[in-house]
Amino acid sequence: MARKVAGLLFASLSFVALAAPLAWAQDSAAPKPDEPPALSAQCQAPASDIAAPAPLPNFAAALASKKKARILAIGSSSTYGVGATSRSRNYPTQLREILAKALQGVDVEIINRGISGEVAATTAERLRTEVALNRPDLVLWQLGTNDALSRIPAEQFDATVRSTVDWLKEDKIDVVLVGLQYTPKLARDKNYEEIRDTLFKIAADEGVLYIRRYDAMRFIAQARAAPVLAQDEFHLNDLGYRCMAEHVAQAVIANLFVRRFRPTSGFSP
Amino acid sequence: MRAPNEIDFWRGFALLTIFINHVPGIFYERFTSRNFMLGDSAEMFVFLAGCSLRFVVGSNERRASVHDVTFRLLGRAVEIYAAQILITMFALAILAAAGHFLGQPALLDWHNAGPVFQDPIETHIGLVLLTHQLGYFNILPLYVVLMCMAPLFALLDRFSPWLALGVSFAIWTFTLVTGLNLPTWPVEGTWFFNPLGWQFVFVCGFVLARKDGPGALVRRHRRWLRVAVTPIVILGVVSAWNGFSPSPGDVPEPKLVFLFDKTYDSPARVLQFLCVALFLSGLWARLPAWFEPISEYFSRLGRNSLEVFCVCSVLSLCGQIAAYMYGGGIAKDTLVLSIGIVVMGLSAWLTEWRARSRASSSQV
Repeated sequence: MARKVAGLLFASLSFVALAAPLAWAQDSAAPKPDEPPALSAQCQAPASDIAAPAPLPNFAAALASKKKARILAIGSSSTYGVGATSRSRNYPTQLREILAKALQGVDVEIINRGISGEVAATTAERLRTEVALNRPDLVLWQLGTNDALSRIPAEQFDATVRSTVDWLKEDKIDVVLVGLQYTPKLARDKNYEEIRDTLFKIAADEGVLYIRRYDAMRFIAQARAAPVLAQDEFHLNDLGYRCMAEHVAQAVIANLFVRRFRPTSGFSP
Repeated sequence: MRAPNEIDFWRGFALLTIFINHVPGIFYERFTSRNFMLGDSAEMFVFLAGCSLRFVVGSNERRASVHDVTFRLLGRAVEIYAAQILITMFALAILAAAGHFLGQPALLDWHNAGPVFQDPIETHIGLVLLTHQLGYFNILPLYVVLMCMAPLFALLDRFSPWLALGVSFAIWTFTLVTGLNLPTWPVEGTWFFNPLGWQFVFVCGFVLARKDGPGALVRRHRRWLRVAVTPIVILGVVSAWNGFSPSPGDVPEPKLVFLFDKTYDSPARVLQFLCVALFLSGLWARLPAWFEPISEYFSRLGRNSLEVFCVCSVLSLCGQIAAYMYGGGIAKDTLVLSIGIVVMGLSAWLTEWRARSRASSSQV
């Protein structure tokens, strides 16, 4: 707290202070869908493989009070949509369509700020700017794959993600961490596994919703033999992005009205 | 070649820092200026580019003509643009080769390269228009725009350096208040280095390098100014050291004014950088004799900054590929840094050697 005060004091040295604290409206009259949208047959996966749950109180309050929601989808190639046949097939675009149907009467806007190959530290820097400019109600942060490949030390990754999640929480913006890409080529990569474990632990410690993308896609790829990967066997194809969008939509809606944090110890990373 | 000087020295220093910061996760990253300052080497590099602009424009006594200045600056913009295209193609080829020969398609995504391979038609148009920039390869596009804006500031400076500074400040303030930025395409978003924000630190360098006006005022009162700004420097160091950066929810509107934002080069970053620069100015002349070889090395890098920057950018990408292949660690990172120091020095030496050869052959 002292550091925060000192930093703010510093910021104020150069400019005129016009303090106007943000007021966060809370209203229990949020539009409640009867149940989360059903997964299409090809995207079925066990619930425990789709997400580690956590509540989204601020997003729920925004939906209730404003009847519209702005979601910032930030991350790397899976957010941009590398591997999809067109950008309209990337996961944020498909997610918007699913949420618009599921949350009738709510205007859902999704801003896509995916930059392929970006590591979490750079995204974290952009995130601050994007939040200041766009004021989202919910942040979907897809991350980890490039940090693992760039051999970013796990503790450095951990510090970057935790500090970012912390300020988002302090700013009353819900965040969903969208986990690493599934690819058979990296199934036994030590760094990959380490970053995956770190991300899972951060989500559990911080009590934020975590999309277990690796597990869900592995399940679909192995159990259903449905091709969710593009020809390069790394990026998702159209179906993969469809499933990713469905999984995120289901997790977000299912956790919209979760009031208390549910322990995630029953899941393994 | 010109003798070592303060501007070249610090520019060389900034180049080496950029190289280190562009190999994420490298051990030596923790010793770079961004751990002690709210800004990083980019502010120093752009500020010094502004100082160098003074040499192009000329002194009050020996002013170059408006035509001459405009053509030289626009010519420089074209030169930097060509360098940007060249290093971008090198980077794409390196990523393509790494992805192909290492059998790892994920490498094709690095640094916003994914869309080049995924949507080549649109993205190639974007590369040429500078609306698509690779991550870590986004400083030169900023320079291109700054060089295109530079004739305007050079012209205003003829009337008064205060006028140039005032117009620059007005553009910067307007940008911070409105959030105006250049768009990227085909990838949705905006420029990572917003030229409308970064032009202010560039113009600060330009006007402070002038013998009279704001520069003279600062130099005349340097001693007590240093005392006055010490708390700002210390507060900035403490904030950076502790990783403090206010979040958008912590600050009032207009938020970009109060954040420590890199894209817009927000006031806190610029202010602390200028205060640190006040302390560093004049230091070069007082460096001990044993430091001379290092000083010469950095000055040589700085004298050939564009060529060295290009080599530095490509080398840092190679460093990242090496980290992917062999992992990190102090020993490997030391090797990467050593190779960087040697190759950057060698490229500066080669550039000067070529210039000397050309000069001597033209005399024959």
